Amino acid sequence: MLDVSYPNHLKKISVYAILVTAIASFSCNGIFQYNPNQVIFRDNEKNLTAKNIESIRSIPPEDTVRFILMGDTQRWYDEAEYFVKSANSQKNISFVLHAGDISDFGLSQEFKWVNEIMSGLKYPYLTVIGNHDIVANGSASYRKMFGALNYSFEYGNNKFIFINTNSREYAFDGSIPDLNWLRAELRNNPENKNAIVVAHVPPFDGDFDRNLELSYSRMLAEDPNVKFSLYGHQHSFRNEEYYKDGVQYILSTAMVKRGYFVITTWNGGYKAEQIEY
Amino acid sequence: MKMKNLLTATFLLFFTTAFAQDEQAGLNKWYVPDHVKLQFAGNIGFLSAGPGYISRNKTLETDLLFGFLPQKYGGDALVTITAKTTYSPWRIPLKNTLNLVPFSLGFYLNYTFGPQFDTKWPSYYPKGYYWWATSFRPGAYIGGKVGRDIYFYNKKKKAELYYELGTYDLLLISYVQNPKYLKPRDIVNLAFGLKIEL
Repeated sequence: MLDVSYPNHLKKISVYAILVTAIASFSCNGIFQYNPNQVIFRDNEKNLTAKNIESIRSIPPEDTVRFILMGDTQRWYDEAEYFVKSANSQKNISFVLHAGDISDFGLSQEFKWVNEIMSGLKYPYLTVIGNHDIVANGSASYRKMFGALNYSFEYGNNKFIFINTNSREYAFDGSIPDLNWLRAELRNNPENKNAIVVAHVPPFDGDFDRNLELSYSRMLAEDPNVKFSLYGHQHSFRNEEYYKDGVQYILSTAMVKRGYFVITTWNGGYKAEQIEY
Repeated sequence: MKMKNLLTATFLLFFTTAFAQDEQAGLNKWYVPDHVKLQFAGNIGFLSAGPGYISRNKTLETDLLFGFLPQKYGGDALVTITAKTTYSPWRIPLKNTLNLVPFSLGFYLNYTFGPQFDTKWPSYYPKGYYWWATSFRPGAYIGGKVGRDIYFYNKKKKAELYYELGTYDLLLISYVQNPKYLKPRDIVNLAFGLKIEL
């Protein structure tokens, strides 16, 4: 009976409307995909480093700053959701640092999924690029979604320096990590804030350029503002003064191992608590 | 060549082949394609087009598609080549020349050109450091199509419109390992295409 009462063109329009709605609601990530290596992001998925730094700074820092170090989400989305739940139960956290290997295959789709999960955090998050994030079109996706591969920001009495240390992805050509950039960032610290270098591959790992290891570790050791440095990559916890030079190397584990660090810094001191959930 | 020119070339190639006027004597040679296809999306390009062959019993189609993704739409300009095979077991005739293929199943292997994509990982990686190739992407899809005879300058052609719901290896692995976070709709994408018999 309904058929008779509807004019033909109205029926057609409603069919189209249903079809369009069905397609639109099918997937929030875009029902049409053109290539696994496409670098397509929505506006709210772009420039996240700058946006999140702004949001961290919108809350004035106290003398003591507490943050979370985690990493290696790569293809462990279910586990990353457990992390978010656990992280949200911590007290007085200002932000979360993702130590790299956000993605596994360097696909923009993976970056989107991880960002969606990390958006469930009560705090803003910042990232450093990992070796898996450079694979295929990964670094193009990282640049578009987060921003520069090397960057720094200051919060309270701390200067955080994020640097790409994934030397193997650049065929160990001597350019990565960019030690000149790192030196300049460490020198440009007139108030002698705690300098906290954050990277994915630690200098004593085989994926770090052997020819740059010594210069890198010395650069950190010779700077009195550097007390500890933060990493991911090895999928296990580590918290040791690796080179016996006064710099503590703190490595967070992978999401699949269900753990992270809560780090507290203040003028002249710090504390790293290992959390398993 | 500019991506826009490539897209135009694809279109031209597709339409001039599909609607070629003269029925040439050589057209029944084995190597002459049985049809041409033009596809939108499906992880093998923004647009892709190319020739294809069909088995004698009309259930198995094999195509070679050249695909382009302009930088404007993809964030990076990507050129691909894809081999795909589609199996469509049933064909239901409807009124007039209209017919319906309710179900198709297919596989493809896609290759993306570019120095950032590897088939064999360079020697500075230990063996098995990354286990997948970034240049080749295998995928699978299900779909369906409707077909009818169309007339172009009084010449009868069989045309078919098809859709495909597909995914590829890396997304499938991600889905299998994360049944809680990922839903089938997160890894499935839609493609549309037009097939014209020669």
